[in-house]
Amino acid sequence: MNPGPIGAAERADPATAAAPESSPVPLQLPAEDLEGGHMLSGLRRRLLVMILGPLLLLAITSAWLEYRAAGGVTELQDQQLLALQPLLADSVIAGEGGGSPGPSLLLAPEVDQFLLARPGTSAYAIASAQGQLLFGESWLLAAGPAPLSRQPRFESSEHQGMTWRVVRQRHPTSLGELEVAVADASSPRQRWARAILLKVLLPHVVILAAAALAVHWAVDRALRPLLDLTEVVERRSPQDLSAIDLQASPREVRPLVAALNRLFRLVDAQAEGQRRFIADAAHQLRTPLAGLQAQVEAWAQAARRISPPGGHGTMLVPIEQIEKLRSATRRTSQLANQLLALSRADARSMAAQPMERVELKPLCESLLESYLDAASAKHIDLGLDVRPAAVPGYEWLLRELMANLVDNAVKYTPEGRNVTIRCGPTERGAFLEVEDDGKGVAAADLPHLLDRFYRVPGTQGEGTGLGLAIAQEIARVHHSQLQLESGVGGRGLRVTLHLAA
Amino acid sequence: MRLLLVEDDLMVASGIKLGLTDAGYAVDWVGSGERAEEVLRTESFDAAIIDIGLPRMDGLDLTRRLRRPDMASASMPVLILTARDGLNDRVQGLDLGADDYMIKPFELPELLARLRALLRRSQAATSSVLTFGPIELDTATRRAGARHNDQLTVIELGPREWTVMEYLLLNAPKPASKDKLLQALTGWDKEITPNAVEVYISRLRAKLEPHGVALRSIRGFGYRLEMRDTAAAA
Repeated sequence: MNPGPIGAAERADPATAAAPESSPVPLQLPAEDLEGGHMLSGLRRRLLVMILGPLLLLAITSAWLEYRAAGGVTELQDQQLLALQPLLADSVIAGEGGGSPGPSLLLAPEVDQFLLARPGTSAYAIASAQGQLLFGESWLLAAGPAPLSRQPRFESSEHQGMTWRVVRQRHPTSLGELEVAVADASSPRQRWARAILLKVLLPHVVILAAAALAVHWAVDRALRPLLDLTEVVERRSPQDLSAIDLQASPREVRPLVAALNRLFRLVDAQAEGQRRFIADAAHQLRTPLAGLQAQVEAWAQAARRISPPGGHGTMLVPIEQIEKLRSATRRTSQLANQLLALSRADARSMAAQPMERVELKPLCESLLESYLDAASAKHIDLGLDVRPAAVPGYEWLLRELMANLVDNAVKYTPEGRNVTIRCGPTERGAFLEVEDDGKGVAAADLPHLLDRFYRVPGTQGEGTGLGLAIAQEIARVHHSQLQLESGVGGRGLRVTLHLAA
Repeated sequence: MRLLLVEDDLMVASGIKLGLTDAGYAVDWVGSGERAEEVLRTESFDAAIIDIGLPRMDGLDLTRRLRRPDMASASMPVLILTARDGLNDRVQGLDLGADDYMIKPFELPELLARLRALLRRSQAATSSVLTFGPIELDTATRRAGARHNDQLTVIELGPREWTVMEYLLLNAPKPASKDKLLQALTGWDKEITPNAVEVYISRLRAKLEPHGVALRSIRGFGYRLEMRDTAAAA
């Protein structure tokens, strides 16, 4: 058992109570969403799509343009081959008279040049109308059926692993009509394919790869401050709510750090407030409990003198002691009730429920009924001064608020005086009010009246110092606050609550 | 008056039993809902005080069971005790047929007051006679009187005085509002003024005074019947 007030407060600490040793467990679930790797890969993917997408589109476009240009090149090649045809046909020279062995070939300079410029990738063939090879390479004739007209025929054919562009045509020569074929394997198409690979695709692939790497690296680097911050926050225990060093954080995340620090401050203040409240409450509970215990212990001791423990018998108890005991018991009960009321009136738990229209006149009337007996017992004239009014609010909370005010007034107003409950409409809504013409409260004490556990010095009788604090808490839930002032003629106390329509 | 107390906590039960016995009631105490149901099958009580937080069959369950039409206890007044004051518990208890509820911890005088009110209401439902202290109002014979030492002294009441008196008795010990009294009287006169209510009240006051019953004005609200010697008691 730890009897110290600090020990008691620590045991009741909501932070440790809510999160025992396994505090990382409840924290891990939300932390997973913020996990660095997850955040990074998501950003990376998005950046990659955003950057690589357009780059890929660019590569495809330029490849297509390149292809279009290559089409022109092919046409040029065909024109060139076609232009060589008549020259090649003219290169055939018929044998002189009959003595010579046969026709001979004297290549025109242009043809010669063409062949020299493309060693191994150019060829020609000249054949008789019957398809018999006269000059050149025979494979050219085998590439396809012989042309039957003077119309040039273009074809592509494979030979020795190369793609050849072949033009075949019948041509009138000195030997009569012959078939002439010229071929070029230095194909611009093939060159184009290679060129596209080298000139277009390769650079794009390089750029794409570089971009991917850059994105990867940049995202890592750009988000490093955020990741560091995540790690710092993640490593924290619920108890450690000190501020994160603003200066040590990069400029970009400073607003986030500032916002986090603000939240830490608020949570810390609230937790501190709760700790203090629980400590105070425990302390307050202890006082009447101590009285109870002392009383009962004394009786038990006296009883033991008369008869052994567990024995039977009777004992006379002074009436005064019983009255004291009842007073202490009632105070303990009241305190427990009020602590509960305070926790229920918490603004955060109320925000979830919708407000309803509350009729104030019946509320005041039912309060009068509840406190009539208590007032009569003290010969206090408890009365009403009510006009119909309604406001949005929580009826049971307003009842609790008014009950606290009326209870206070009846309790602290001397015998034979008056307590009046009022309500009515105002310009902007309605008001609730409780006024007494008792001793009133000194101006110096007024500001403290709403503090929890504050009791006006010298106050006698039962009381916990929580009633007005609860009323103020409820006023706050209704976006208002209590106004405390002296009653009519500077006597007594008047507590007013203005409520918005 | 015989009461049934259903409460599982020994301290609370013995305290309540002591207090009720001291106030002149005969109290039978059982510790569980099952036992209570059993007892109620064979015996009858004037009222039951039932704790919600009972083991197994809870107080709400018991209330629902004893309200079944085949039970003799179907119309018996039931006062529920609860340590929880959540709105749901209250509403649920009253919906299931409880007549009133009290939140633990409570003060004995309040329990006694509520119990008296419950018994009065259940009596009023079965008998035609309304009572307050020595005053008796027989709504069947429309005769009013004051009983002292078994001697009934007739009190002569005019029809409007009767209406006011009846309403006051029906509400006692709660105060009756002036507005409601005015409404009750409009059955007699269409154009009745608040002043007229005061006239009847002062006449009634004069007639009740000799029998030790006061008709107290509640400022800004209405009137309440009170015993003159014990102003606080109902």
